[in-house]
Amino acid sequence: MHVRWKHLAVGLAILPIVALFATWIGFFNVGASSGHFKITEWFLHFAMRSAVRTYALAVDAPERLPDNGIPPAAAHFARGCAICHGAPGEPRSPAALAMLPQPPDLSAVVEQWEDAELFRIVKHGVRFTGMPAWPTQARDDEIWSMVAFLRKLPAMDPATYRLLAYRNRPQPPMHASRFEDALAECTRCHGGDGMGFSPLTPVLAGQKEAYLLESLNAYIEGRRPSGMMQLPVQAVDRRHLPALASHFAVLKRHAVVQPLKDDRVGQGEQIAQHGRPAQKVPACLGCHQNSERNPSYPRLDGQPEAFLAAQLKLFREGSRSGTPFSHLMENAAEHLSDTDIENVSAYFSSLPPED
Amino acid sequence: MTLFVVMSFGAAAIWLAVVTVVCVAVRSQRRVVAEPAASRIILWGGAVFPTVTLFALLTYAFWLMPTLRPSPTFRDATDLRVEVTGRQYWWQVVYFHRGLKIAAANEIRLPVGRRIEFSLKSDDVIHSFWIPSLGGKMDMIPGRENRLSLMAQRTGVFRGACTEFCGTSHAFMSLTAVTMEPEAFDAWLASQAKASINVAGEGRALFLRHGCGSCHRVAGTQATGAAGPDLSHLGSRQMLAAGIVANTEDNIAGFIANPGAIKPGAAMPAFSMLAPQDIRAIAAWLKGLR
Repeated sequence: MHVRWKHLAVGLAILPIVALFATWIGFFNVGASSGHFKITEWFLHFAMRSAVRTYALAVDAPERLPDNGIPPAAAHFARGCAICHGAPGEPRSPAALAMLPQPPDLSAVVEQWEDAELFRIVKHGVRFTGMPAWPTQARDDEIWSMVAFLRKLPAMDPATYRLLAYRNRPQPPMHASRFEDALAECTRCHGGDGMGFSPLTPVLAGQKEAYLLESLNAYIEGRRPSGMMQLPVQAVDRRHLPALASHFAVLKRHAVVQPLKDDRVGQGEQIAQHGRPAQKVPACLGCHQNSERNPSYPRLDGQPEAFLAAQLKLFREGSRSGTPFSHLMENAAEHLSDTDIENVSAYFSSLPPED
Repeated sequence: MTLFVVMSFGAAAIWLAVVTVVCVAVRSQRRVVAEPAASRIILWGGAVFPTVTLFALLTYAFWLMPTLRPSPTFRDATDLRVEVTGRQYWWQVVYFHRGLKIAAANEIRLPVGRRIEFSLKSDDVIHSFWIPSLGGKMDMIPGRENRLSLMAQRTGVFRGACTEFCGTSHAFMSLTAVTMEPEAFDAWLASQAKASINVAGEGRALFLRHGCGSCHRVAGTQATGAAGPDLSHLGSRQMLAAGIVANTEDNIAGFIANPGAIKPGAAMPAFSMLAPQDIRAIAAWLKGLR
């Protein structure tokens, strides 16, 4: 029999209809029990590695990973990642091992990836695998902290991990319905004294109560993007939020760093007190002076410098929100240079906490 | 004015002379003029006469010029100098007088019959300062100071405008110039040097509480910001938002809630999240600052 062009054309036209029909009658088995065919598995993995490699070309990796973000990243890992990937001293659960594809033990595989590739996977997740994207696409700074943590993961011993992730307390429950559990979820990163375990974690001790509560609500409603905060806040029963805010508001703020007077502090003070009128930079202290100012304007005295700088950069790029007043900061930060941000952050972090 | 009159007479004289010559030429069209005579006419009528006349007028104009330029006898110690800085999209005004430095914005007051020195500056882009009824325009160029000298001759309220495209709200960047009798002006300036008598109003606490003082100064309060217009005597100004809307309590409240609605591209963020009664109280207080 001769295959004519006409036969070929008709065959090609019918093929999708046949495939659709086969799908409709349930010909293809989607059960995970039997696993993929070897060739399917090879192809999917090949496609995934290639796509990550190619898309990572567009990622600008920092020269040095932010190691000061490792504590919050470890705490986030404990809640968001370890459930599938396991952690030092915590092997993957049988349920995770039965997933298709099986989520890898990261300590064995992170070395196969470049920083930019890890960033790409953590930020965007991997389709068809169950690996979710980062809870927000607006916080690259958090993702770099996570990459910094992943780099340390292969060599991390269980004791170090437990200290970073839980501060040596019991593993937190998936849903904190009791106030004590809700508080424990906060103190894993912010400390029992509210001073925080990382220079990228804000000091909550003595912060204004209204500001804390509005920020928590903003995290829950997704108005203030942060993967590291959205996850724990959503694990907490909402009715505990006011009590959590007032709990931290009454703690006493300690001086973290010795007040030092260097050039940066002096220049930061100039901006804080007078702004830079010609460049439409307002004076920080017009709003951030603690007494009598709007309770939605946070205290900045004694906050860690790295945290303040990171937040100012987020405001400057327009990806930080929070209280109903937070848009005021976008105008304020718009015309600050990187140096200005460093100086202003140094100034506020050098201020001795006032009480 | 005198320059205009003199120049008009000069122009009229030249015009009459030219028309006369044309008439004579038309009348005597058949008479042929000998070549030497023609050359003489061209020399005297075409070269010497215009040179002398125009030179005389030009000399007169140059002679008038010093009074239009900054005065050589200007003395900072006693004379009034007004520094106007163009900002997107408003005018920062500072009066320097007898060692005092008095800040205001968006409205200029001048005494009649005194020649006033203006220093014109800009902090962001090129603006141009022009109050047509009072004199010529002058650009305000970032990084340099241009000088202009004006003298008002009668009292009144005149409108000025930015006459160099400076951004989104260029068309909404006007200026009010109020000319006053010298005694009234001196009294007014003395009152501007002090805090407003109504500065203790109830809106003050709210103004400070919400951080308005980060950008705005109000004399007699902790508000010392300079990124936005000085509001020390806002209530006494004729117009609001650099000559755009009438200075009423309603318009002040509207501007606080949403500056972009009145002035697109304004640097001030919207404060619509404030409680309406807070906005009203702040507006009422600002309107009271006279």
